[in-house]
Amino acid sequence: MRVRRLPLLLSGIVAAGLAVSGCAAPGAAPGTAQTASAEEGFNDPFEDTNRGIFDFNKAVDDAVLVPVAKTYRTVVPPPMRQSLHDFMRNLNGPVIFMNDMLQGQIGLAGNTLARLAVNTTIGVGGMFDVAKLIGIPYHSNDLGITLAVWGFVEGPYVIVPVLGPSNPRDIIGQIGDGLADPGNYVAGQHHLYYAVLARTVTSGIDSRSRNIETLADIEKTALDNYATIRSLYRQRRQAQIRHEQSNLPSPNPLSGSDGASEPAMSYSIAK
Amino acid sequence: MLRRSAAIGVLAVTALFFAMPREATAQDARGFISRLGTEAIQVLGPSVSPARRLARFRELFRDDFDVPGIGQFVLGRYWRTATPEEQKDFLRLFQEYIVRAYSTRLAEYGGEPFRVTGSRPNGAETIVSSEIIRANGSRIAIDWHLIDHGGAHKIIDVYVGGVSMKVTQRDEFASVIQRNGGRVAGLITQLRQKLGGAG
Repeated sequence: MRVRRLPLLLSGIVAAGLAVSGCAAPGAAPGTAQTASAEEGFNDPFEDTNRGIFDFNKAVDDAVLVPVAKTYRTVVPPPMRQSLHDFMRNLNGPVIFMNDMLQGQIGLAGNTLARLAVNTTIGVGGMFDVAKLIGIPYHSNDLGITLAVWGFVEGPYVIVPVLGPSNPRDIIGQIGDGLADPGNYVAGQHHLYYAVLARTVTSGIDSRSRNIETLADIEKTALDNYATIRSLYRQRRQAQIRHEQSNLPSPNPLSGSDGASEPAMSYSIAK
Repeated sequence: MLRRSAAIGVLAVTALFFAMPREATAQDARGFISRLGTEAIQVLGPSVSPARRLARFRELFRDDFDVPGIGQFVLGRYWRTATPEEQKDFLRLFQEYIVRAYSTRLAEYGGEPFRVTGSRPNGAETIVSSEIIRANGSRIAIDWHLIDHGGAHKIIDVYVGGVSMKVTQRDEFASVIQRNGGRVAGLITQLRQKLGGAG
């Protein structure tokens, strides 16, 4: 049952992806379409609806998310927040590993596996990022990137209520990652659905608390915040898909990437 | 004998110097970004008053960035549809807009360690990579794209975490123009309003 579930799930995702992206040629280099029409290609046919949801999200953000994230930052001391952050990242390890493998990034997969092994044991269940200290930096990866690497097009830009910027490819990726996650699977087996919810909420508060100022500053200075966020999201995803920072040559194969680098301004926008 | 070997030595060093102009330029580019980055981060620090920060940023941007080139790029295809007057107005307003926006957006990196990590040629450009190490231990990769402008380095784009600031700006301005019926004048009005206010 457990063994058979993953391939089944994958074929489901692939089928759905094909349907959404209109059977993109698998050989097509990802991103070429966007580059060709980069000058005006916002790929945003539902802009009016999206702007509506964007405003709604802004209201939710102001009323709920930011106050919660600020309280979290005030109440919980920095070392504990860092530990929680590292713990949440470690929980994502298996899914990152899966995607590293699916993309044929063996070096990155080795890093992720080594990080999981070190941080789960010496790092006390992932609460301390010991692996980073010994030169194995974190990198993120997800099924949205995998689908892009496989040649699926992104589909139109959409704003998801509460969750923010995305596109069909990334939405399918997120669902797939959630289903493939062993932590969620174990919780599901024991009917601990609140654990899955708690994890999602915690990880949301963690990321929001880390970019309160960044997003506020962009909003304050932008002429068109919506267009700025859209550009940041799409560029950031393209950079992740190119594995730009991961492909820099490094003398040390185990720490062979710059992937630990945070996307900074676009951190929250395209995690 | 001694004088002769000294002369040969000088010749050899001179020859080496001229044989490696590219190396020298790359070194030079790294030094340029190292100085610029360190100063910018310092200026962004909490001890500097907002007015002084703005003044210094204005100088940095004017002296070290290819302002006309960036200005033309961010207006995209609308550069050609703009009247010479609009182009002039736009360049002036855009410069001030960038200075204000980025001195605010980058303020949170103030005082954090900055270091240059490498450089590589990219066609006519030189790309200098650098990083900021944040208090929480995370690193932010910043790539500076430089061109040689009459012997002086000029920055034509900055990539933060793989995201081009020039492209982001172009996308935003294009959206503003489109929402103003394709008129550059609409963008100019909005820029003026933004700058006219508090910030």
